[in-house]
Amino acid sequence: MSDKVKKMQEIAREILEKGEAKVVIGWEKGTHWYLSPPAFIDKPEEVERLVWDDFCHNNLSKYLKDYVNHEGKVAIFVKGCDSRAFNRLLQDKQIERDKVILIGIPCHGLKDQDKAKELGENADIPKAKKCVECRYPNPLVYDYFIGEEKALDEVAAASEARDFSDVEAIETLSPDEKYEFWNKQYERCLRCYACRNVCPACSCRECIFDQTRVGWIGKANNASENQFFALTRAMHVAGLCIECGECERVCPMNIPIMLLNKKLIKDINLLFGPYDAGVDVDGKLPLGHFDKNDPEEFM
Amino acid sequence: MAVTAEDVKKINPLVPIRAKVIKIVQETPDVKTFHISTMDDKKPFDPMPGQLGMLSLPAIGEAMFSVTNKGESHIEMAIKSVGQLTEALHEIEVGQEVGIRGPYGNGFPVDYCKGKDILFIGGGIGLAPVRSLIMHCIKNRDDYGKLTVVYGARSKADLCFKEDLFENWPKVPNMDVFVTIDREEEGWDGHVGFVPAYVEELAPKPQVTVLCGPPVMIKFTLPTLQKMNFKDQDIITTLELRMKCGIGKCGRCNIGSCYVCLDGPVFTMEQLKDLPPEY
Amino acid sequence: MKTVLKTKLPELFEKLANNYTVFVPAKIEGISRFAPYQNGLELALEENVLMPPKDIFFPQTEKMYKFKAKDQYLEIEDLPPEEGQQVIFGVRSCDLKSIDCLDQVFLTKGFVDAFYQDKRDRSILIGLSCVKPMENCFCSSMGVDPQKGVGADIQAYDLGDKVGFEAITEKGRELLGKIETLLVEEAASVPAVEKFVLTADIEGVPEKLKNMFDHPIWDDICRKCLNCSVCAFVCPTCHCFDIASEVRGEDGTKIRCWDTCMFDEYTRMAGGHQPRPGKKERVRNRFMHKLRYFPERYDMLLCTGCGRCVAKCPVNLDITAVIRKIKEAE
Repeated sequence: MSDKVKKMQEIAREILEKGEAKVVIGWEKGTHWYLSPPAFIDKPEEVERLVWDDFCHNNLSKYLKDYVNHEGKVAIFVKGCDSRAFNRLLQDKQIERDKVILIGIPCHGLKDQDKAKELGENADIPKAKKCVECRYPNPLVYDYFIGEEKALDEVAAASEARDFSDVEAIETLSPDEKYEFWNKQYERCLRCYACRNVCPACSCRECIFDQTRVGWIGKANNASENQFFALTRAMHVAGLCIECGECERVCPMNIPIMLLNKKLIKDINLLFGPYDAGVDVDGKLPLGHFDKNDPEEFM
Repeated sequence: MAVTAEDVKKINPLVPIRAKVIKIVQETPDVKTFHISTMDDKKPFDPMPGQLGMLSLPAIGEAMFSVTNKGESHIEMAIKSVGQLTEALHEIEVGQEVGIRGPYGNGFPVDYCKGKDILFIGGGIGLAPVRSLIMHCIKNRDDYGKLTVVYGARSKADLCFKEDLFENWPKVPNMDVFVTIDREEEGWDGHVGFVPAYVEELAPKPQVTVLCGPPVMIKFTLPTLQKMNFKDQDIITTLELRMKCGIGKCGRCNIGSCYVCLDGPVFTMEQLKDLPPEY
Repeated sequence: MKTVLKTKLPELFEKLANNYTVFVPAKIEGISRFAPYQNGLELALEENVLMPPKDIFFPQTEKMYKFKAKDQYLEIEDLPPEEGQQVIFGVRSCDLKSIDCLDQVFLTKGFVDAFYQDKRDRSILIGLSCVKPMENCFCSSMGVDPQKGVGADIQAYDLGDKVGFEAITEKGRELLGKIETLLVEEAASVPAVEKFVLTADIEGVPEKLKNMFDHPIWDDICRKCLNCSVCAFVCPTCHCFDIASEVRGEDGTKIRCWDTCMFDEYTRMAGGHQPRPGKKERVRNRFMHKLRYFPERYDMLLCTGCGRCVAKCPVNLDITAVIRKIKEAE
């Protein structure tokens, strides 16, 4: 067992034994060696289930929404992206800071589960796509901290290397080609809403896509409804997406959802100045306020 | 002759037939009774008391309603305005064409009730499904014993089927009708109070009880009935859940392994005790 | 046994495609699923496909009838019937069993679902045996024989570089006759199935669940669930549907589409009453339906051990782990 895991379990045990929180949310081993799904620990004797390895993908902050009306505190482990998600929820007043104990854990970059499955346990498994471009491996907010922060120059290097080439490749296409590309992607969308349900930016109490009776979106699975879903969701999370990449990871149809999100991030950076969601809790949202210097070509 | 819903059931039970609304009765501010016939003035289908029908304004929606009564050439559904479809139904006028399919569900155990004294307990719109059985008992008066109706609503205005309650039913031989409203109000000299307490106060001695109303009424009436020493198989109720197909396929109206649209909506307490309390 | 080289299968499909729509396991845009055979289609025969054959009989979105509604007037019009026979090749035993489950739902208990029946009646099923279980497969634990499925018209066997055929029904014999010239009669033995990675001990679980509705186990099992519908939409047996309208002016079409007990709107009533208000109630219903309610109603499990939900659940809510927890619960 690594020192980090030992430390993780120690902290969790202490929190539960002292009654500081009623539940600790972390990760545990799943069905296969390359799966480390969320774990909910209520008793000190269960802390040994907790793990920290190359596959702790799930963004745990999402679960805080389930504990809004919960008595007492909840403790959760946060990687860099989980902490950004936490900040986002805090910024939207979806959760209360003093009801959550955050245990920060710097992330070394997680590995690709599909590749792991394909290559086997002893192979050199590549990093998950979502982690390759990560610029915030260190938790931004925490009460406890495990391990060492990732060297800052390494983080800076990742920032430098910010890569929008995949977005640019699509931008160079003609409108018809773009349409064809996205239509092909979303033609296979099942509308299972895993992307929405796993997304920490999707925190609306009532989602437009659940209100099929009102008629904003039809329940039929076809090109036009699926496109409406894709575009509406992309616009709804614009300026809120913390780039945890969970939507794309969980999509059973392998739709490149982050490509849409990144396009919007790129545009927001261009129009309103560089912005990373969930970094500064007190800052204003780029699409959440009006500034007289905002571009207004569309007016 | 036009195709009836009975024929459609044999061909494709999910496709409704075209029918028309021939009469609309405003029962309360938010309940209307719709009389529905086929395009050639026939009964769309011949339901047993307690059975259901799927009524639709196809552009808006389709929903399951209990059939509150049937005539020679029509069926009646009493509908409360609570959602999108029912609000739209409250806007329509006589002559409106609708889609209808049915009958669905098991209906009340009319044979089991034969020869017995029956207590009907209803609250609010809950009298709608029970009314079909009351009407059946009245039509076949000699087959049943004493009929007692205890019915309550929030206010005088909210009482459904006023003509039955105050004019028709009291005249039926060996039938008592007791009506109550939740709170005192001007122009009401009848009983005031909730249904469960009123049942306890009246202490009728029937052999079978049929009750339907809001969950809270059922919850508080059951202890009263238990005090009255009813056997579980003699307490009969009718349930309502969200439904789409009406034929036990689409899944959503399940309570445990039962489908309310197919195995219900009528259940005895004995049956409900074996099912998860998920309704 | 009549056999054919796997490399010659496209030729065989080609021949059948003259008279039938031939659904074959294929890889399209990176997703494996059943698709009508056409020249150049990338076949996916090495392992079972991600999307089960369910949607051939029960499409995700299906038009039911048309209507015209203007003022008080209403017209209801049937859609023109679909025609033509279809062959579905390569249905694994788990998915054959799932079609058996769907048959129970759509064709029994007093009402026959005409839309499903029509597609089912026009279909000829060719099963395909498995040699190497995928790592999320546990069909044998659920009473399914990976080498021979139920309800196939023809059972095909994976013989390595060849496929062997055995006609089961008269329809199957007739179909084999049509491709006879491409087949070779030879002695062949079906290779044994390799060891399963995943197993589940289902013995006694449906009975035990009868007294577990209020068990605290559900508080624990439900917690990581996101209430999405990946599990239901990749499941070969999940069959719940919604009915909705598509309206353009006076004209409309009634459709039905896949639905799931994971969604809030599924059971929420017009007046607002919600009998299954949260994660716990919905997750419990899902597993109860698969492992208790369906066996009570139809005398068979509603899980065939295909492992798709295990493979695709975003939070690894593994049904074999749930079964284990039920077994271990006090």
